[in-house]
Amino acid sequence: MEFLNFVLIFITACILLRRPEKERLAFRLLILSVLLMASLFLLATRTSILPGLNY
Amino acid sequence: MKREPLYTILACAVLALTVIPVGGAVFVLGFIRGDSPCVMCWEQRTAMVLIALIGLFVLRYGPRPKYVGLAVLVGAWGLHMGTRHASLHAMRDVGQGFSVEILGAHTYVWAAFIFMVCIIMLGVLLMSLKHVEPSSFPRSLGWLEKLSMWVFLAVVAGNIVQAFASTGPPPYVGQSDPIRFSFNPKHWVWALDEWRSAAISLRGRWDIEPPDVTKVSADPAAGPLKDLSALTVKQRRQLSLPLRGAITDLAYDGGTDRFLITTEHGVYIVDGALDHVLRSTVVDPGFSVDLGTFAGAAFLDSRTVMALGENKSFVILRENDKADAAKNFRFFLESADQFDEVTRSRLATMRAKMMYVMSLAFDPGSKSLYTVSVPNQQTRRLVISRFAQQDLTLSEEYSPTLAPDSGLGFSGDKRSLGEYFVTGATIAGDRMYAISAAYSTLLCLDPAKHSVVMANVVPGLEYPTGIASKGDELYIITRSGALIVVDRQ
Repeated sequence: MEFLNFVLIFITACILLRRPEKERLAFRLLILSVLLMASLFLLATRTSILPGLNY
Repeated sequence: MKREPLYTILACAVLALTVIPVGGAVFVLGFIRGDSPCVMCWEQRTAMVLIALIGLFVLRYGPRPKYVGLAVLVGAWGLHMGTRHASLHAMRDVGQGFSVEILGAHTYVWAAFIFMVCIIMLGVLLMSLKHVEPSSFPRSLGWLEKLSMWVFLAVVAGNIVQAFASTGPPPYVGQSDPIRFSFNPKHWVWALDEWRSAAISLRGRWDIEPPDVTKVSADPAAGPLKDLSALTVKQRRQLSLPLRGAITDLAYDGGTDRFLITTEHGVYIVDGALDHVLRSTVVDPGFSVDLGTFAGAAFLDSRTVMALGENKSFVILRENDKADAAKNFRFFLESADQFDEVTRSRLATMRAKMMYVMSLAFDPGSKSLYTVSVPNQQTRRLVISRFAQQDLTLSEEYSPTLAPDSGLGFSGDKRSLGEYFVTGATIAGDRMYAISAAYSTLLCLDPAKHSVVMANVVPGLEYPTGIASKGDELYIITRSGALIVVDRQ
């Protein structure tokens, strides 16, 4: 899934470089990447979301 | 700040973020040294790339608020990721950590630092936007801005290669313990471990409820040890002492024939007949060390007492008829002229680290202090910890077993000593006596052999919280002030 995310990021950067008029698409891909990144981290830490320390 | 310098600085920042942490990670650490990120590291690296990408958005379209806002959100999430990751290793022994250490810090600590720097830079950027307007159509890029985009693409391309090799295409996800990176597909491991079924929890193994003696079953018939005989109660009476709050522990000093009783934060020296309070104070539990609620008490000598909280934080007090109340104001909530505070600190354990305690015993023979853990929903284990009086540091820690010649046996295959809820402990001779509120059971242990040598039921116990040895007798006290006396076996 990390591979997929970097592919999305690569595509987004290509849009900025070569097709800048498609800003809306690029921003939506950016949002998708952010959500995917956050979701994967939550997936990996769902059994203990907060840092394991005394509070 | 004028338009062009802002974009020049931003292009440099994007280059720096792309090349140093991300480019260094993929090309140097990854391709050359073979380091593969774990699943959490992958997401932290991705977040850095995303912040750099947002920088490219600003270069192309100007500093639109939604870009800057999103960058702050990603930076904040990145700070959480770095902190959450570092928390797994921060409390290990010195020098320990996970995977690669660079210039004295591991990668997850550097990640937290980088995200902090990003958030600071975004703040500076926002403060510098006075004369800059977002563009309604794409800006033309200067050579530095184009360079930052091409370098970004090259670094992301490297990450695509490493991510494909190390984590695989969907649905495969990064791993907790990734293997060394290799360009050879024979050494690629793609795993679905992160998709396994698991309970969602905010605090995981740190989600431990404070102990509550009122929630345990006192029925001895339900206990883990079978065929226990009941002790004969020699004396049973209700104490009528002017104590503030529920009683939490009991200790005895033979040299002066006096008892020590603690309540949640109160410390009381009581006469040998348990009729009169001779000296008392209420400790400020919130000054400096968080003492929590007192659960254990012991005489260290005839004039010095120790009170221990459930969280293994402690305070040591020395009786002083001339104590300076003004000087002691910080330590005590009441009666600051009865004791001086010697020190307050914390006991640190290993096996009992994730368990509370509700007892404290002092052995003058070995100059050792003992605590006994109470079970919780995460750990059902009986752990005895011994600390040297000299430096109050852990000397020994074990889970006792049943002595082979004790005649004791479990009432079922899955029963264990870990079900006992020890709320009081005392040392008498070469034995430890521990009273369990769960199943109203008195355990007699041989500390030298780490074993339980005897166990008996104490009838009519309701929420015992302390035990003390006086002569050949054991005094057991409950949270409501009932006293039960039995012979020491």
